Amino acid sequence: MTTTTAGITPPAIQHDKPIARARRVRNGAWWAGCTLALLLVVAPVVWILEGVVEHAVAGWKWDVLWTTSTGIGGGLANAIVGTFVIMIGVALVAGSLGIGAGIYLVEFSHPGIVQTVLRSATEILAGVPSIVFGYCGYLALVIGLHWGFSLLPAVIVLSLLVTPYVSKSTELALGQVPVANREGGEALGMRKTYVLRRVVFRAALPGILTGLIIALAISAGETAPLIYTAGFSNLYPSGALIHSQVGYLTYAAYAFYDEPSATAQALSRDASLLLVLLVLALILSARLAVRVTQRFSPNRSASRPRRGRRRGAVDGAAAVR
Amino acid sequence: MTDAPLEGELLSPAPRAPETAVAAPPGAFRRRALAAGQHLLGGGSTVAAVVPLFALLGMLAILFSEALPAIRYNGWGFFSSNAWVPGNTYAGSVRTGGVLHPLGAHYGAAALITGTIESSVIALVVGLPIAVGAAILLVERLPRRLAAGIGLCLELLAGVPSAVIGLWGVLSFGPWLAHHLYPALSHIPLGIFRGGYNSAGQGLLAGGLVLAAMIIPIIAATTRDLLRQVPDVTKEGALALGMTETEAFFAVQARWVRVGVIGAAVLGLGRALGETIAIALVSGSAIQYAGNIFSAMTTIAATMVSQLDAAQADPSGLEVKALAECALVLLVITLVVNIVARMLTRRAARGAALPVGAGF
Amino acid sequence: MQLSNPAGRRLLGRSLSAALVGTLACSALSTAAFAGTAKVTEAHKVPTAAQLKKSLTALEAAPSGSVKLSETGSSLFYPLFSVWAQRYPHSNVSIQTASTGSGTGQSGALAGTASIGASDAYLPAGDPSTLLNVPIVVSAQQINYNVPGVKGHIKLNASVINSMYTGAITNWDDPAVKKLNPGLQIPPTPVVPIHRSDGSGDTFLFSSYLAAGDPGSFVASTGPNTTVNWPDVSSALAEKGNTGMLQTCAVTHGCIAYIGVSYLRNAIASGLGYAAVENGKHNYELPGKGSIAAEIASYKNIPANGTISLIDSPKAAAGYPIVNFEYAIVQQHQPDPATAKAIVALLAWGMDSKGGAAPGFLLPINFQPLPANAEAVAINQLKSIS
Repeated sequence: MTTTTAGITPPAIQHDKPIARARRVRNGAWWAGCTLALLLVVAPVVWILEGVVEHAVAGWKWDVLWTTSTGIGGGLANAIVGTFVIMIGVALVAGSLGIGAGIYLVEFSHPGIVQTVLRSATEILAGVPSIVFGYCGYLALVIGLHWGFSLLPAVIVLSLLVTPYVSKSTELALGQVPVANREGGEALGMRKTYVLRRVVFRAALPGILTGLIIALAISAGETAPLIYTAGFSNLYPSGALIHSQVGYLTYAAYAFYDEPSATAQALSRDASLLLVLLVLALILSARLAVRVTQRFSPNRSASRPRRGRRRGAVDGAAAVR
Repeated sequence: MTDAPLEGELLSPAPRAPETAVAAPPGAFRRRALAAGQHLLGGGSTVAAVVPLFALLGMLAILFSEALPAIRYNGWGFFSSNAWVPGNTYAGSVRTGGVLHPLGAHYGAAALITGTIESSVIALVVGLPIAVGAAILLVERLPRRLAAGIGLCLELLAGVPSAVIGLWGVLSFGPWLAHHLYPALSHIPLGIFRGGYNSAGQGLLAGGLVLAAMIIPIIAATTRDLLRQVPDVTKEGALALGMTETEAFFAVQARWVRVGVIGAAVLGLGRALGETIAIALVSGSAIQYAGNIFSAMTTIAATMVSQLDAAQADPSGLEVKALAECALVLLVITLVVNIVARMLTRRAARGAALPVGAGF
Repeated sequence: MQLSNPAGRRLLGRSLSAALVGTLACSALSTAAFAGTAKVTEAHKVPTAAQLKKSLTALEAAPSGSVKLSETGSSLFYPLFSVWAQRYPHSNVSIQTASTGSGTGQSGALAGTASIGASDAYLPAGDPSTLLNVPIVVSAQQINYNVPGVKGHIKLNASVINSMYTGAITNWDDPAVKKLNPGLQIPPTPVVPIHRSDGSGDTFLFSSYLAAGDPGSFVASTGPNTTVNWPDVSSALAEKGNTGMLQTCAVTHGCIAYIGVSYLRNAIASGLGYAAVENGKHNYELPGKGSIAAEIASYKNIPANGTISLIDSPKAAAGYPIVNFEYAIVQQHQPDPATAKAIVALLAWGMDSKGGAAPGFLLPINFQPLPANAEAVAINQLKSIS
């Protein structure tokens, strides 16, 4: 074999052999299938949003936001405030329970039967239907402890419902912080809590916050557990934890739809719109929170999501074909 | 080598000399408080980790104690009979085998259990391929911004309350199905597509499709995150060998994400099994076995939410207890699905040629 | 008989006194007979309107101090109760309302989680006798259908409706339907029976009507209830709430549905027809203010415990048969006197045709105020709450 480049004709590249065509066809069919799948995913979202917005905006009145509901009309102010109060309660309770559980599973526990059991219990709890939570809460708290329909049973039930999500996100976020960071802190003589607070949490904060906001979004959208624990009220939340019912938006969307009066049905549509806007706000705030807290995390490469496709590599492959 | 008393001192509280009247060294209180803080964090997080377990056991206990009379009364017929008859609640209650019940009360959940399983299977069969296909496209082909925008759509779909989705199903989706999809499907010569449909569109297929719409975001988001974690090097290697992108996917990425996708599918299945309000609105709510894919049926969760109010009008309390028995059955189904999934993922993880998540 | 002579006068006197004794005896016997047939333990004299008004006004006195009441229950009663909660003249009494269903209303009142439970159905016998069902207003139910091409109202009776729900009649031009509607052109449309998926007072009322009108109905064995064992009909559908029934029926040709009378305007606006239903005297009546009032006026015997069943109803020639009383379920013994007084005041005001039962409140939802005899019974029940 000569080593000079002059005078060597490279072998002809074989195009359009039958086997290559079949593979190309299969490739094209696969991508077509995936594109169809993507369209089928996006279509319901657009459909639902368009329906919600169209029905609500048709008869929108701004005083819906600051008038209380009367059962057959009025506004949604009490439901909005009630939803926010419930979300704050869930953030406090589920936040502490979920983050605490995540910390224990990652930082304090050792692999073994205890850890497996606790982790499995959390995952199974995530799969329990919300109506079962609501019903058990009704039996144990509303009737059993005689709290009546009120804020505290609602917050407890919803918190238990969403704690697995917070716990899982916290676990994943803490797990992604390299062990080296913790070991470095320990080598410097830091206490465990100090390492956790200053090193690990800072790095894991985006993930933890995302989990918490997902939990809030889930709790804002639940209907069945709240019907059996919070009841409903046309008045603003009174601040009492027990013996005082609370209004919330999902009830307006679900139950007002059944009223004979057109104003109540319009309120049901407005509540749907407000709920969608609330979920959108929560999602955007989660992204904002991630961006803000990423700045503080010392371990930026672990926190940043991996990039998707890199164009250079595949183009090179295409040239070979 | 320097001796390292400093390390020990900072990490754990200095042992206090018991009774000597030596003045406490400065900062001892602070050290003790901080150490207590560490114990508090440890103890507090342990308590928090145990709460889900206690919640699960507590719910099982509450439901079991509530359902016990109904379990005794219904016996195994609960799983074979599909009649849900509260009996004559106005004629006074009688006692049979120690259980108070109205005359003629008879509860069977067979139709509910079949309906739950059928609708969830349809949701998974329809939703899993769509979700995984969409995630692949999202990660592989779409430009960054479009992918972020569609990611937002996915999260929005995941976050929309099920009451809103249910109302959409009843008002828009059901009638659309009845006008466009069902006529086309009823030409297929398979048994399950024969027998006609109602023009409101409500039934098993509508319920399954609505459930699919609800589980797609979960599976798609998880698959997308998993695909993003596959190291580019492996994929580039396959492409460099001359594989098409499809072949590279099946050779490399599919094996990396297989376990995770199964886990996500199980998560979605769990959501479909437990979904209450959306399916209650679009399923047609008929306590019967579905004759064909269009016919009305119901699920356990939907029946619970529909019947809970009427059950409270039964003075003997048997219907409430029968609903608690339904909840128990649903819990057990969820448990079984979770355990089976766990076994599947463990086997798949063992069988995978590539070490999943080993990192580079 | 000549009255001029003393013998004649004595004869007249004796015959008159005999007639008087006979009349008294007859009335005593008939009163005893009346008392025997119904479960009435009180004197059967209906108070005059003025007496009722006086007792009612006395009960309407609200307590001083602020009281919080909570109401939950029937979705049919909910719109009215919510309006009452807004417009109740005594602002120191605050009322929370929720629409959860008649069953939850009953159990909520029993468990004490609600001060007042609203229910379309009276209490079953198994509930303690200290739980009262107090009739407050009168409601009704129409039978709606979606059969395009029919001019006028289809006449239906209990056995035809029953056959439609059991699947014996599968088409609207069935001979049984044609027999009731001679001369009415009904296009052949398959029957789609729609019922409630959630337990509901509407189902209770509907099944009561079927049980009363058709001894062979599918509810004959178990009796009327808020949820019944619907026969397996492949085309049947179940919907949530009256609105669900309305909307599904509006898009389904051939449907038949039972919907509360508060939705009558919505039903007509959606293009649904409503049936002329056969009453106890075999006349076919449409639901309207007059026909509902006529039927209610014919309820002569109201038991002292307020339990009034459509099945025991007497017949009114021009009455619309599917009517019911809306009940407030209340515990006889309340935790404190102020709450008891507030509950009594609210319910009394609700019954008052100058208060909560004024046309301004009731007309938009097609409800009617209580007749005098029911009001008397309700007042007695309210007086026993402490």
